[in-house]
Amino acid sequence: MAHTYDFLLKFLITGDSGTGKSCLLHQFVENKFKEGATHTIGVEFGSRIVTIGKNQVKLQIVSCDSAGQERFRSVTRSYYRGAAGALLVYDISNRNSFTSIAKWIADARKLAGADIALMLVGNKLDLEDREVSYLEASRFAQENEMTFLETSALTGEGVEETFLKCGRAILTKIETGQVDPERPGSGIQYGDSSLRRISQKSRPARQKSLCC
Amino acid sequence: MGDLHLIGTEHQTDAVYALQRSKQKARFLKFKDMLQQPVVDLDVLRKLSWSGVPTAIRPIVWQLLVGYLPCNSDRRNVALERKRKEYQDGVQQTFARGIEGLDQTIWHQVFIDVPRTNPKMALFQNQTTQRCLERILYCWAIRHPASSYVQGINDLVTPFFLVFLTAYIEEDQDPESYDISLLPPEILSAIEADSYWCLSKLLDGIQDNFTHAQPGIQRQIVKLRELICRIDAPLAAHLQSEHVEFIQFSFRWMNCLLMREVTLQHTIRMWDTYLTEHPHGFSEFHLYVCAAFLTKWSAELMRMEFQEIMLFLQDVPTDDWQEKEIELLLSEAFMWKSLFHASPMHLGGSK
Repeated sequence: MAHTYDFLLKFLITGDSGTGKSCLLHQFVENKFKEGATHTIGVEFGSRIVTIGKNQVKLQIVSCDSAGQERFRSVTRSYYRGAAGALLVYDISNRNSFTSIAKWIADARKLAGADIALMLVGNKLDLEDREVSYLEASRFAQENEMTFLETSALTGEGVEETFLKCGRAILTKIETGQVDPERPGSGIQYGDSSLRRISQKSRPARQKSLCC
Repeated sequence: MGDLHLIGTEHQTDAVYALQRSKQKARFLKFKDMLQQPVVDLDVLRKLSWSGVPTAIRPIVWQLLVGYLPCNSDRRNVALERKRKEYQDGVQQTFARGIEGLDQTIWHQVFIDVPRTNPKMALFQNQTTQRCLERILYCWAIRHPASSYVQGINDLVTPFFLVFLTAYIEEDQDPESYDISLLPPEILSAIEADSYWCLSKLLDGIQDNFTHAQPGIQRQIVKLRELICRIDAPLAAHLQSEHVEFIQFSFRWMNCLLMREVTLQHTIRMWDTYLTEHPHGFSEFHLYVCAAFLTKWSAELMRMEFQEIMLFLQDVPTDDWQEKEIELLLSEAFMWKSLFHASPMHLGGSK
C-alpha cells in the first residue's frame, strides 16, 4: 500500500539554463546531489509522496530544459497546461538569471493560467559570490504574489521546504475553492474516493461564498 | 557427462573466436586495401563500413564518408592543410578581441554547456579538451546564425573528437581517459579543426533539427508515432491510453541522436553505419533506429502506467549492452526502413 495517496499534484520547474533545476528535482526525489550532471534536453521527470497536513500527497514534477523553452515550446506547453504549480528558479550568483524571472512568470501565467501557484526559488545558496540579495528577491516575489525561498541543491538546504510549501499552497487553493481539482488540466487528481467525499462536503460552502 | 559437455563447448567457443578473429582480419585487410587505392570508391567503402569500421582506421574512414576528405589520395594532404588553416584563421579572427569581443548570449550558453558534456569522462573534463570544444561550438554557432548554438550540439561533436584523437595515440591507450594536454599543439589543433569540419558536415544534413522551432525534430516525432502505430499497434495504443506523448520522451532521442541513451563507444559504432547513409543517416535512418529502440522495450512498457513509463524512458536500462545489441538495433532499423521507407503510404494509412 506504499503507493496510496490522497492527492496527486503536478509541478513544473523552470528557469534559465544552468540554474540547477534538474539538481533541485534530483535532490528532492533522491535526497542527494546529482554529481556530474549533463544539461537537460526536453524534460526530466520525477515523483515523490510527501505528507502535508493530514494528507498523503504525491508530487509529480517535471524539470524543463530552458533553451528548448524558447525554440521549442510545445513540449513545455503540454506540461504547463496540466500543472498546478511551478518553481521558477534563478541562480543567486547570476543576476541575469534573476532578471529573466519576469519572463518566466509571464510564460507561466500565460500557458498555465492565473491560478497556478508560483514559487520563486533562489538556488546555489552554497556559493559565496552572491549577485542577488535576499531582500531584493523577497520584495520582487511579494510584488508578483509569489512565495520565495532560497535553496542549495548541493547541500539540500531549503529544498524539501520549497516543494512542501508549493504543495501546501496548492492544497490551500483547493480548500478555499480558488482552484477546482475537477477542472481538466488543473494539475490535481484525487488519490482515492474518501477524499472526494470530503471535498464534496465542502463544496456547497464554496458555492455559497461565490454567490455572495 | 557434465564436464565432458563443458569441455566440448569450450572448444567450440575457441573455434568460434578463432573464426571471428580471422573474419575480422580479412575485413580489416579489405578496408586497408581500399584505402590504399589512388581513388577510394565511396560506394564500396559505404557497403563495407555499414557493419562497423575497425578502430585503427576509423578516423580516415569517417572523414571520407562524411565528405571532408577527398577520395583522391593525391589531394588529401593539400585539402587537409587548407581546411585546418582556414579553421585556425577563423578562430584567431573570432577570438581576436578576447571573450569580451564575443556574442555574450551564445558564449554564455557554450561556456556553461561544455563542462556538462560527458561529465564522467576524463577526456572531456580535461581543460585542454574543453577549450577546444568551446572554440568549435562558438565558431560553428556564429557561422550558422539560422540555428546558432543549440543545447545538444555539444554532444554531437564528442564522437568526432574522440575518434580523431585515436589516430594520434597508441592503440592500447584508452582515449576516454587519455590526458590530451600531452599532445603537441599542432596535433591538438588538427584534431580540433577536423572535428569542427566534420561536425559541420553532419549538421548540414540535419539543419532543420536546430533552426527555429526545430521543425526537423517535430517532423521526426510525428513519423516515429506513425511508424510505431504500424509496427507495434498495441504499444502505440497503450502509450496513448496512459497519456504519454511521443514528444515527451523522443524529443531527446532526436535532438541528441540517442547519445544520452547509449555509451559513447556504442554511439561511435552507430555512427559507422549512420555515416554510410550520409547525409540521410542522422535523420531518416535514425528514425528507424528510434523505432527499433522503443519497440525493444515493448513488453516492459505494456505493463507500466504513466509515471513508470516516463521514468523508464528517461533512463532506459542499456548499461549492460554490448556491441551486439547495437548491431541488432541497426539491423532491425534497416529492416523497418526497407519495409516502410520506399512506401510512405504504408505509414499514412495508419491514422
